[in-house]
Amino acid sequence: MKRKCALLVLAALLAFSAAGCQASEYERRTDASNTLYAGVVASSFPVSFMPWLSRDGIAPTIASMLYSTLFTYNEETGLFEGLIAKEWYYVDDAGEPLLREDGSVDYDRVEAIYGAADKTYLPVKVVLNEGLTWSDGMPVTAEDVYYTFDIATNNTLSNHAGALAWTSDLQHGYSSGTLVEQGIFTYGHGAADMGYAISEEERDTVLYLHVNKVLGAVTTLFSTILILPEHIWEPIVTPTNQLNSKDPTAATLAQYGHPVGCGPYVLDADRSNAQVIVLERRADYALTAEDGSALYKVDTIKFILYQELNVAIYALLKGHIDLLDSAISTNYLSLFEEREHMFVSNAPGLFLQTLVMNVNPVAGEKNPIRDLLGDVRVRRAIALAIDQDELISRILNGSGTTVAAGLMSTANPLIYNPDAILLPEGLEARIAEANALLDEVAPTRDEEGYRTLDGARVSFDILGSVGEQETIAFLQVQLQKIGIEVEFASKGSSPEKTYLYNSKFDMTIQGVTFTISNLDIMYLAHFVTLGTSSNYGRFGDPDLTALIREMRTTLDLEHKYELILAIQSMIADEYYKVPLYCSNVLSIARTDRYQGYVTVRGSTVFNTDTLQNLERRDAS
Amino acid sequence: MNRIYVLKRVLYAIFVFAVVITLDFFIPRLGVDDPAARYYPPQGNMTEIEYEIVKQATREQYGFDVPVFQQYLNYLEGLTRFDLGTSFRSGSPRVSDLISERLPWTLALSVTNLVISLFFGILIGAFAAWKRGRWQDTLLLNASTFTTALPAFFIALILTFYLGFEFELFPAYTNPNMVAEFDWSWDAIKVVMNNAALPILSMAVGGIVAYGQSTRNSVIAVTNEDFILTAKAKGLTPRTVLYKHILRNAMLPIVTSLGMSISGLIGGAVIIEQIFNWNGMGTLFLEANSTNDYPLMMGIMLFMSAVAIAANLVTELVYGLLDPRVTVGDRR
Repeated sequence: MKRKCALLVLAALLAFSAAGCQASEYERRTDASNTLYAGVVASSFPVSFMPWLSRDGIAPTIASMLYSTLFTYNEETGLFEGLIAKEWYYVDDAGEPLLREDGSVDYDRVEAIYGAADKTYLPVKVVLNEGLTWSDGMPVTAEDVYYTFDIATNNTLSNHAGALAWTSDLQHGYSSGTLVEQGIFTYGHGAADMGYAISEEERDTVLYLHVNKVLGAVTTLFSTILILPEHIWEPIVTPTNQLNSKDPTAATLAQYGHPVGCGPYVLDADRSNAQVIVLERRADYALTAEDGSALYKVDTIKFILYQELNVAIYALLKGHIDLLDSAISTNYLSLFEEREHMFVSNAPGLFLQTLVMNVNPVAGEKNPIRDLLGDVRVRRAIALAIDQDELISRILNGSGTTVAAGLMSTANPLIYNPDAILLPEGLEARIAEANALLDEVAPTRDEEGYRTLDGARVSFDILGSVGEQETIAFLQVQLQKIGIEVEFASKGSSPEKTYLYNSKFDMTIQGVTFTISNLDIMYLAHFVTLGTSSNYGRFGDPDLTALIREMRTTLDLEHKYELILAIQSMIADEYYKVPLYCSNVLSIARTDRYQGYVTVRGSTVFNTDTLQNLERRDAS
Repeated sequence: MNRIYVLKRVLYAIFVFAVVITLDFFIPRLGVDDPAARYYPPQGNMTEIEYEIVKQATREQYGFDVPVFQQYLNYLEGLTRFDLGTSFRSGSPRVSDLISERLPWTLALSVTNLVISLFFGILIGAFAAWKRGRWQDTLLLNASTFTTALPAFFIALILTFYLGFEFELFPAYTNPNMVAEFDWSWDAIKVVMNNAALPILSMAVGGIVAYGQSTRNSVIAVTNEDFILTAKAKGLTPRTVLYKHILRNAMLPIVTSLGMSISGLIGGAVIIEQIFNWNGMGTLFLEANSTNDYPLMMGIMLFMSAVAIAANLVTELVYGLLDPRVTVGDRR
């Protein structure tokens, strides 16, 4: 009996093995349709699409394809490009645009009218595109925009703190569910009462907003908030069944599962699951290319989940997918070079890596060696000793760019200050200058050649993650040349709380991204605010602070840009955050089915430009 | 088995579970000052007051607006109703629903792996003990060194690379539509078997060798015991000696290993699931971890802990049945 059982189990195992020994049929290899297979390395895909999705993983990408914002912001030109909306203006009290004869914004008049203390807001007129529809066929109107911004400011209905953050510059507010200040005006919501004339023809396409008196106030409103269809959500959303409900009703869940948006694609819910998301191009999408053809060239996009990067890379190499919508390490670069049918997008990045020094520790964390970092000569010496080119060559396999001491990426041409590079050329001369500077501060050295101060070696810890260990090892060698010892110190899982917010560090590696759209908040966080901010080294300079505050509040864009350039020079002069490198965004795609991939700064190969340019090879 | 032994084991398991519940609640909160600030860093030109409003809304949204101890009490109160809370993910699904969706898929992998490992492990181990000192025995010992040195995920990567990608003998990773299209038809079951082959193989390589090694050592040790000599001297048949005396006593360490394996059934395949895109509990845990989904993390950890505690309890009770000597201390 026992022998029979054993044989049965063995037979079952053999059957199992036989069934298992059969390769999968990878759909892409035989798919002749205009379907792009995009691999995504993530832990999961969302299966429920609350319109204002979380910020994690692929959710924002999917959201931006199903829904749309009013505009998209072009960091290179500093201009808003139309999506739902086509135009916007600062206006006078009567709602008339404040424009110069050439059509540009008349900042002199903006400042003249709204610079006065008694003016508490800046009015903005927004004009929507005509003919846009939701994916269920209903027209997109100004009332949808009103509904979206209104609910975003009313947490009683939206239950979405992020929406409160996005609309913090809109002077439209609720208190316990009651409107206490109106800052959105449409034909049906008090525009006439405010003196803004909207004709019958314009009723669906024009609205006015009252925003805070800063030039950056419209950025988040225009380019972050996904506009919702009022006709879908207004009947469902109530204080007891909020937009982001903790306990959604069946009706709400149905909308989460079958989202109605006004973006270029619509979700194919029947073919999507936790591991695949299928998007179909909307045939009725109103925005078109210049030649009148469809703006987005791919009919169907299939996102396929991979939880392990190496598996995803091999899936691409073996032709299971067309592209990988994930940035990959530069260590992989040699794997793809010189391979057939492979497009490597090596896009300049926006993310800068810096070495931050603890220049002003709290009283309890001061010590004579750490105090050296408060001396600008020491900081300059350290900056002089760091060879960015060599760092990029060795750590990033050459896939990166050097960064100016003003900490602005060249990817922001409008506000990049090329003069904010205060280090001389030539490493030997720089090392000599660095040593000369340090000789003024700590001239004595120990038997190993390191500098000493009152008998103690000048030695600093650099806080970093495991991934930054290589960079720190490189810095160790570089700074040894000027007699400064540095050692790696692990950041741990909660570095802010453990070390950075309470001055318990000498130096740390910190990533920063400064763009036109985030400077207002980032300059403050990195160089002014003390305590729980990104200003880990508690840097403070009254002149720089004054300049940053002026930059934030000026209503003259040209003046704002001038101030940003000046701020970079001041930042460069302080050597508080020493630039290390700006790594490229490396991503890959196959070219045997599609051609026309576009490399975009700071993006992977899966980007809007690519989707608007791709073409099936056999179609040409 | 005496009742005091059972009672003591059960009470100890309950105590451990209470400690686990407490740790399960507090550990995810360590190192996070204000979860609200982590969710929504300051935006645009927000003032401190505006930002405080946003943070407060975030705290309310996720139930962080009451003191931590009150949150703990709320959590305990929920557990009495078997309510593990709702996930932070879109649509606010219940944690228990998410676990019950993923659990069968993990069990399909890990139980099959356990059966295969146990069956072949005991078979190979007994065979190696029988051939003690010969090449079959040496092969098992060397294989044991090999699989101990190579973690399962590395074996998985090697297998998926060669058998999946290069030679295409097995699916290199799970068919993305497998779970969604599963309907208990024979075709669907074949698809599951097809997709499970490599992950199970990756895990089973180590499992078979481990059980084989354990069985081999145990059988050899028992065979050399005096009572086996006595049994033989009494004139018992070799079959009776093997089944009634050697194997029964050799099972003790195997039962211990089995208990540990059962406790790892749910959480033991995290990396394997990740490599093969297997939509199970392991990947659910990784998702929760990467999105700071506290309720989901806590729910999974609690569930895994409960299974481990239950498995250990059962192991100890079975141990008592197999070897009554372990309960002697409790009899006094």
